[in-house]
Amino acid sequence: MVIGGGISGIQAALDIANSGYEVVLVERLPSIGGHMAQLSETFPTLDCSQCILTPRTVEVGHHEKIKLVTYSEVEEVRSQGDDLRVKVRRKPAYVDWERCTGCGLCQEKCPWRVTSDFERGIGERKVIYTLSPQAVPNKPVIDREHCVYFQKGGKCGACAKFCPVEAIDFQQKEEIWEEQVGAIVVATGYDLYPMERLSEYDGGHHPDVIDSLQFERLLSASGPTAGEIRRPSDGAVPKEVVFVQCAGSRDPERGVAYCSQICCMYTAKQALLYKHKVHEGQAYVFYIDIRAGGKGYEEFVQRAMEEERVLYLRGKVSKIFPQNSKVMVWGADTLSGKRVEIAADLVILATAILPSQGAWDLKEKLGIKIDESGFYEEAHPQVRPIESGVPGIYLAGAGQGPKDIPEAVAQGSAAAAKVLALFASEV
Amino acid sequence: MRKVGVFVCHCGRNIAGTVDVERVTEALRSYPGVAYSIDYLYMCSDPGQDLIKEAIAKRDLDGVVVAACSPAMHEITFRRTVAAAGLNPYLCEVANIREQCSWVHRDDMERATLKAIQIIGTIVEKVHHDEPLVPLAVPIARRALIIGGGIAGLQAASDIAAAGYAVILVEREERLGGRMAQLSGTYLNFDSTADLLSEKVEVVTRNPHITVLTRAQVEAVGGYLGDFKVKVRQQGNDKEYEVGAIVVATGYDLYPKERLSEYGGERYPDVIDGLEFERMLSPTGPTAGEVRCPSDGRVPQEVVFVQCAGSRDPERGVSYCSKICCMYTAKQAMMYKMQVPQGQAYIFYIDIRALGKGYEEFTQRAMEEHRVLYLRGKVSKVFPQDGKMMVWGADTLSGKRVEVAADLVVLATPMVPNADAFGLAQKLRVATDEYGFFSEAHPKLRPVESLTAGVYLAGACQAPKDIPEAVTQGGAAAAKVLSLFSQEKITHDPIVAAVDSELCAGCGICVEVCPYEAREIHPLTKVAVVKEVLCQGCGACLVACPNKASHLRNFAPAQIMAMIEALEGG
Repeated sequence: MVIGGGISGIQAALDIANSGYEVVLVERLPSIGGHMAQLSETFPTLDCSQCILTPRTVEVGHHEKIKLVTYSEVEEVRSQGDDLRVKVRRKPAYVDWERCTGCGLCQEKCPWRVTSDFERGIGERKVIYTLSPQAVPNKPVIDREHCVYFQKGGKCGACAKFCPVEAIDFQQKEEIWEEQVGAIVVATGYDLYPMERLSEYDGGHHPDVIDSLQFERLLSASGPTAGEIRRPSDGAVPKEVVFVQCAGSRDPERGVAYCSQICCMYTAKQALLYKHKVHEGQAYVFYIDIRAGGKGYEEFVQRAMEEERVLYLRGKVSKIFPQNSKVMVWGADTLSGKRVEIAADLVILATAILPSQGAWDLKEKLGIKIDESGFYEEAHPQVRPIESGVPGIYLAGAGQGPKDIPEAVAQGSAAAAKVLALFASEV
Repeated sequence: MRKVGVFVCHCGRNIAGTVDVERVTEALRSYPGVAYSIDYLYMCSDPGQDLIKEAIAKRDLDGVVVAACSPAMHEITFRRTVAAAGLNPYLCEVANIREQCSWVHRDDMERATLKAIQIIGTIVEKVHHDEPLVPLAVPIARRALIIGGGIAGLQAASDIAAAGYAVILVEREERLGGRMAQLSGTYLNFDSTADLLSEKVEVVTRNPHITVLTRAQVEAVGGYLGDFKVKVRQQGNDKEYEVGAIVVATGYDLYPKERLSEYGGERYPDVIDGLEFERMLSPTGPTAGEVRCPSDGRVPQEVVFVQCAGSRDPERGVSYCSKICCMYTAKQAMMYKMQVPQGQAYIFYIDIRALGKGYEEFTQRAMEEHRVLYLRGKVSKVFPQDGKMMVWGADTLSGKRVEVAADLVVLATPMVPNADAFGLAQKLRVATDEYGFFSEAHPKLRPVESLTAGVYLAGACQAPKDIPEAVTQGGAAAAKVLSLFSQEKITHDPIVAAVDSELCAGCGICVEVCPYEAREIHPLTKVAVVKEVLCQGCGACLVACPNKASHLRNFAPAQIMAMIEALEGG
């Protein structure tokens, strides 16, 4: 069983399934892809994230050895001999996915719009929805909390009226069942540190102070602005954009002590993409150290500085606050020793990477350890980075510590190798 | 002429919102050579696929065009569908009317609709000219070759062998362990690398599935995925091994400090590199772990660590970042301070790149608990003066020049690919980047695969990386090998080059241009023949052939011309 359908879990599932073993892939959301599905383009090659991801999600969806269980969570785990018995709970989608053809008519006809979590609150979705047009599986769920049918006692029901195959099932109940598996790969990924907790950065009050995943959605061709850079407050094209790195990272007092590892690179990418779209705009990046440690990364950051004229300022931002129609950014330039003030149109906070919310619960259920920051703890940091210490349970991706896509992919494969060796030894 | 069926997908509103699918379906119905056409909401759904299967049976179709999204999405899906209905899968093609039509023409339904008809028309022509093909099947030698016995290679070997497959591990040196064997301890926890490594070596040497060949080198590589023939030279003797997959784990060297003349790397004994300092710190090293100046054996009181000594410096060294130096330098400075508490350690840096779990906290410890002095700036010059090494540098934070009279200078020189890597890459026909590191198939999603089928990458041969990353990659490469070995046979795409022997003059130009060594001149018939399992369908031979005797199956010149004519007519 692979828990988590982000890129790391997908890779683990595919490598195990392609070796002839059966995999149950459990995903909390209605469809797989994880955070990678939210990203615009990827550093350092600027490949479109969705485009390189979709073939993988489709392969998972079609794979005869992979049982894809989405909109579901692990309820309970107990070991029985060499096996693990995992109780899985599936939330009611209020749509019969067996009947649903994924035609999308229900979403078109649903008259109600709400803020979308997938769009990180800066875009909308219907009350019956899929995460994206390329969702795998491409089946919708009804958001019960906002659905007029549920909240106003049977009114509306537009989706049911228009569904050509009668797949809407308002009576659907949650399902709980048990899977018997020989190994578990934990790939539950990350969340971002909430902006609300960064009070000196305006605590997420101002609409034009956004976090980096929100900016990814703004950059994304499939996002709420169809890839145009428009600031949330009034839709204007921002001319002065400030990127604040280490917003909560490397800051034990206000956030977390650790470094989030990926922000330097995605910020360079975001600044570069912004400049591609708004040529006359000015991008500023506040940083402590530029941590460009991967293959081609250093060269990529140099490109952002030299070719795209992104202005890097070494220093922390002390305060962000609204003034007139702008957002004032107060910071320091430690190289010139001077104070810097910028009247920005848009501010992007590279907030810290946190372990995903369910990690704490899951570690209890699995009996694995987490470290002081809440990430899963590996058996040995150097030579056993994939093993949890509990036999048969392996770690992959950002649940173990912040990491970028290639590292998450490599860990997914490495976890698969452990599972394959385990299964081979049992035959 | 084939009886072709055209299946037009709405893709919900994705296509139907811009393209008038009913009109398209109608237009195709009267297209020459089209026997049947129908549209449906989602052709990739089960009912959509059933529609295709039914039509093949009822209408006796022997060619299928699905007009839908990109073939990258669902070509496999629809080829499986037609195969299930008894049709050769290569007689099914996808016409892309979503990414290449509806998505890019949202504002002009009329022209989008006409364009969709044209696109489908060309693909109908293609299907008329398609040959039924059968994937090539190759047996697999279920044995892996690992080149390099460092930590990445050891991990790959033990993971593959743990699944029960045979492994041949080739190591150039006398002992296994690679660079890790030279280190003193790990960062974060100061664990003994020797202990950690000996556990791994033990696992490998004890496993009966693993044959370890030390003081051995790969001499020549022939064959292909599933059936490589590798000649290994061990102490003068050559032996050939048949293996199904190869993992390259040749690791790194350090950039020679001798080339950094402004740091005195070539002249002064008290200017050493990171690995030399590791040996000094190691209990098994020449000083039994005591830090001493190489010049006169005194205990150094002032030690300067110079980071980016050749890294991030295109003029004097390499332009890339070596990734691991920030961390090992912090560790080395701490180990020095533990040994010489009254000594002073200085670290010159550009950025502190503490990229890993617990790494940031570790460098903080170096600064706060061990009082290592970090100076942000480059070192401009190192030279001897009065028995000391003078280090001139800048502190960009105070804007001042800094001079330190040091007893010992440690240069964190860049990691460069192993000296043998380039030759090996050529033997393996694997690409390297501009620095000589092995190139991965895709930087994001295929980090441990090379572009040559059956050759995988692990560890620092691909790019600078530290121990946990090398271990992870070793494991990941093993997973790729295990997936491969679990197949009964390897199937190979039959879209490969073919030669019309009537037209071939046997000139051999194609043999020269083929990057995959997939061609030879037949010794008897004297015409070119294609080794189909090696051919990657790149088309270089087609272009090179002066007689137009070569073509790519299902992309034949006549076929392409027919497709173009369909465009002009439409």
